[in-house]
Amino acid sequence: MTGHFVVLAQEAAVSNEFAQTLVDGISFGAIYALLAMGFVIIFKSTSVINFAHGGLTGLGAFLVAAFVTVLDFPGRYLTVLPEWGQWTLNVLTALLAAALIGVILERVFLRPMVGEALFAVAIVTLGLDIVVRTITNDWIGTNPRPLGAPWGLNVVDLGWVRIAWSEIVQILVTVALLAAIALFLRSRTGVAMRATAFDQETARAQGINVGRIFSVAWAIGAFLAGVAGIFFSVFPRRATGVDQATAFIAFRAFPAVIIGGLDSIPGAVVGGFAVGIAEAAANTYLGLEFLGSGFPGIVGYLLMLVILLIRPYGLFGTPEIRRV
Amino acid sequence: MRKKSKWLALLLVLGLVLAACGDGEGGDTTTTAAGAEEPTTTAGEEEMTTTTAGEEEMAEIATDVGVDLEAQTITIGLLSDLSGPFAPLVQVINSGHEIYWANVNANGGINGLQVNLEVRDTGYVVDTHVQLYEELKSQVVAFGHSTGSPHTVAINPQLQADGILAIPLTWYSGWSDPAINANLVPHGVPYCIEAMNMIEYLTLEAPDATTIAIASSPGDYGEDSNAGARLAAEELGLEIVYDGTGLVNAADEATLAEVASGIAGSGAELVWVTTSPTPFGSIYGQALAAGFTGALWSGAGPTWNPALVGPDSPINEALASNFYVSAYYAPWGADSAGNQEVRELVEAAGAPPLDYYAEGVIEAKIMEQALRAAYDAGDMTQAGVLAAAKSLESVTFEGLAPDETYVGEPNDRVQRAQFISRPDPAGLADGTSTGVTLVESMYTSPIAEAYEFTETCFSLG
Amino acid sequence: MRGRPLLHTSYESDQALLNTTAKRVMLGIFILILVSIPFQVVPGLEFLGEEDWLRLLSTTAIFAIGALGLNILTGLAGQVSLGHSFFMGIGAYTAVWLGGPVGGPFIGLGLPIWIWLPAAGIVAALVGVAVGPTAVRVRGLYLAIVTLGLVFIGEYLFRNWNSLTGGAQVGRDFPRLQVRLWDEEAPLIDFTTSGSWFGLDLSGTAKSFFFLVLLAVGFTLLAKNLQRTRVGRAFMSIRDRDIAAEIMGVNEFAYKLLAFGISSFYAGIAGALLASFVSRVIPERWDLFLSVQFIAIILIGGAGTVTGTLLGSAFVVLLPRVVQNFTLWLQGVAAQGEGILSSIANVFVATSSNDFGLINTFAGVGPGLSVAQLNLVLYGLLIIGFLIFEPLGLYGIWLRVRNYWKGWPFTY
Repeated sequence: MTGHFVVLAQEAAVSNEFAQTLVDGISFGAIYALLAMGFVIIFKSTSVINFAHGGLTGLGAFLVAAFVTVLDFPGRYLTVLPEWGQWTLNVLTALLAAALIGVILERVFLRPMVGEALFAVAIVTLGLDIVVRTITNDWIGTNPRPLGAPWGLNVVDLGWVRIAWSEIVQILVTVALLAAIALFLRSRTGVAMRATAFDQETARAQGINVGRIFSVAWAIGAFLAGVAGIFFSVFPRRATGVDQATAFIAFRAFPAVIIGGLDSIPGAVVGGFAVGIAEAAANTYLGLEFLGSGFPGIVGYLLMLVILLIRPYGLFGTPEIRRV
Repeated sequence: MRKKSKWLALLLVLGLVLAACGDGEGGDTTTTAAGAEEPTTTAGEEEMTTTTAGEEEMAEIATDVGVDLEAQTITIGLLSDLSGPFAPLVQVINSGHEIYWANVNANGGINGLQVNLEVRDTGYVVDTHVQLYEELKSQVVAFGHSTGSPHTVAINPQLQADGILAIPLTWYSGWSDPAINANLVPHGVPYCIEAMNMIEYLTLEAPDATTIAIASSPGDYGEDSNAGARLAAEELGLEIVYDGTGLVNAADEATLAEVASGIAGSGAELVWVTTSPTPFGSIYGQALAAGFTGALWSGAGPTWNPALVGPDSPINEALASNFYVSAYYAPWGADSAGNQEVRELVEAAGAPPLDYYAEGVIEAKIMEQALRAAYDAGDMTQAGVLAAAKSLESVTFEGLAPDETYVGEPNDRVQRAQFISRPDPAGLADGTSTGVTLVESMYTSPIAEAYEFTETCFSLG
Repeated sequence: MRGRPLLHTSYESDQALLNTTAKRVMLGIFILILVSIPFQVVPGLEFLGEEDWLRLLSTTAIFAIGALGLNILTGLAGQVSLGHSFFMGIGAYTAVWLGGPVGGPFIGLGLPIWIWLPAAGIVAALVGVAVGPTAVRVRGLYLAIVTLGLVFIGEYLFRNWNSLTGGAQVGRDFPRLQVRLWDEEAPLIDFTTSGSWFGLDLSGTAKSFFFLVLLAVGFTLLAKNLQRTRVGRAFMSIRDRDIAAEIMGVNEFAYKLLAFGISSFYAGIAGALLASFVSRVIPERWDLFLSVQFIAIILIGGAGTVTGTLLGSAFVVLLPRVVQNFTLWLQGVAAQGEGILSSIANVFVATSSNDFGLINTFAGVGPGLSVAQLNLVLYGLLIIGFLIFEPLGLYGIWLRVRNYWKGWPFTY
């Protein structure tokens, strides 16, 4: 986030700290919302807690960096388009590649685990996260890889609030993706996915190809993770690009998932923005001496613990009905 | 299912047995230890040598660990960070070691003894470092480098108990403190004196500056450097308007935002940030976007990475205009006999041009001198090599780095000279430079010169 | 009864920990080998007596203690916990608070080991019980994420509490494994320096090896015993069907809290021992990866079984060293230059900075995984592999092997 600004002599002052915090929180929350949404889509459709989401985030961001700076594919063939058009196409191609890898990972590592205990499957994704993250970090190398974003470091200064161009794009893209997902869930495949999420066996009995639904869910999850990875690797989060620490951002999104409720997609979005705003608020108003450094990083988890005490299944999660 | 796990079990057992049997019995390569070492105190043993000076009687050379007179090998250990935050530098430094020793070996070695390297990756984790030290200490005669200050501090008591030499790959000022450095030979200007040099240089470039902002990572590296920055500020009459020492946490970008906004909000005219390159890039970029321009920035040597001014980096132009690069040795393109030697060696090995090979060559040269001195003294035991190193009066690098000496008072022998460069994104983009242009060679600022060094600037406790 | 080892005629003999001759014999041999390791008398296993292998085995003992705790929580009581490293950190910092030197820049009270070591376990247990109510309210995968949160909150605390932990990236020295009565200068028993015990010359590493193995054996006994007690059975019933257990009169809440408490006790002791053994630890040591290592141990070893946990600890702790040796050996083979084996090896491993290889210890200018990365990838693949192919872990493999030979020459 762009951090808070204190009134001072040399630079333009931001007159409304609260509004700035809100803007920061929303733009950061957008990243968390994307991550949480992808996570919940995977969970709802396949009942898999995906600890590998961090690895997918790093992978997606790395693929974008590779396609944009190293391969320049397919941008280099379409020079008729302006710079940002080429960039967008490269990014989309990279994200499609990430989605494809997500599908392959599901097929290879998670299909054999269908029917096994949820805990065991969750640990498999934990192992998968380690593998994906390590290999991606090896490809990234030790220097950060810039993503060549066309908006660079530009900032819009409205006097009362300051917002970077990349944050504007972030929020717009997140809203667009939310709308797209909402529409998708009304389509044929989307309804099939909702049916599978509700009851796998019955969906199968109805003739829905559950395996294909799993693949679609993972493709969407990996795509969203990749988008979140992009936004996390550009200014203002990191001016230098995707590096070996990018994959760990996903761990900050888990509280968002829990706050919203593990099986609620709208809940995930709400949770994401809640955590983002909480972090921004902590950054601005809780910069207290005794709290040391890094407190905003755990604010999400603290918020999660508080909400779990009141509602053990999250704000919008459905309580589990357990039978003997 | 059953069949699958039976084969799995067999494979595992086979693999484990193979691997366990492979302990120390690697083939003869230039980089692995050649089998077990035996203590050999020889009297009247004849050796065939291939030195250019003809046959030599190695009868009176005492050895214990790491030197094998029969196989004619010397083994040096490298405790490196090959996968942690400073991996980009250390990987190239290790290449520098390999290239230099290969050259030494090709030209007769140390009086006929070939030098082999045992490299271990500590990942910049203290307990792995300690573990690997324990593993290597019975295979090597000395440590060519030990990466990381808390890591080297952790093995220091054991180094003293075992009587082994290590060259620290960090520039913590404690290595020049006789209370700490009995088994260590430092090289290059320590962090706190580096800060004094650089900040004074910045005031020469911006004579009207009266305020400074400082920030750093936690730990010896950041604290030592900022201790020097504070001393410099006091001497030069600069007001510290923001002090983020120890706040920069590379894994938590909220701290980066906090420091960036602190620096930007303070309105300082000079900035001194000591951390690793990636968080530095973030801090600089965020401060830049907050409208913070016009100040001069610098930081300790390891803060810099040429990738910061790479062609796709959004901050390359800005950095080129107001950042000053500090270094302990001359950059690749510098004009000196030492640099020429490095360039020739690296190009002959077919490796790309990078500044950090020089560090490996510097460390290797110190070790080479120590080994030769130990050989001449007839004592190539671990203790003998240590004593030889500690008695070196002058180690020269022909312009690649300032001369070092390891005898005398700490105040006299602490290194105060360094190199200053400006970033060169254009040169990096078209391959004519390694991303920097040298502006000052062997520079010592007056306040560093006058500083009375008797003990470390910052104590790890 | 001769020839009928599985025929038990009394409850005690059925419930005995070593209820077959085979088990007794195997345990006897194992103990003999363990004790003899520092003396390097067993043919083929002399290398284990070298300093660095002794250190590895000592670390295995420490990890085994911690893993036994997690086994009780996750394997016996079925509570998924990713927060094990947090409790280890609590144990370690309690130990250093009580046992660290008085005065100086950090907090310390200078108390002897027989106070700080048990206290480490007890304080960690209390924290585990305090965390309990929140953890108990949530189930299954929500619990995993709550415990994940514990790790991050713990990391934040440790990183910022400079006067206790030494601060981020710096750390501080930990009290050594030395037994004193109160605060005398010279310790009564010193496990860290070489000396002579009962006429035998032992290095410091060998002494601490014996100490740690002794502790590990003690904790193993306790853990193994837990399984056959009322508490253990209650845990297992909660793991299998907690509603049914509640109906049968097992107080789910109390027993879950107890499970957290016991496992945190083990974790605290393990954390204090680890920090003391390594002598200097930075606060970042107690991170998510450490927790994942313990999960890997119990899964690879076999969740719910004590033998499996021990096997898993050995596997996970020795894996990096084995991989390293294997890589070095491969490098040697590849560098020889001739032969099919050499060419195959050359594909897998790089022999210098310019050579290509899937594993690249020079990890400089070429592609390829470094040894550290290879370790990580293997961890991940092993976790996945064991869960997919052999959910019972190494213990399961051992069972299959044992049953095969039991029934031999018949196949079933």
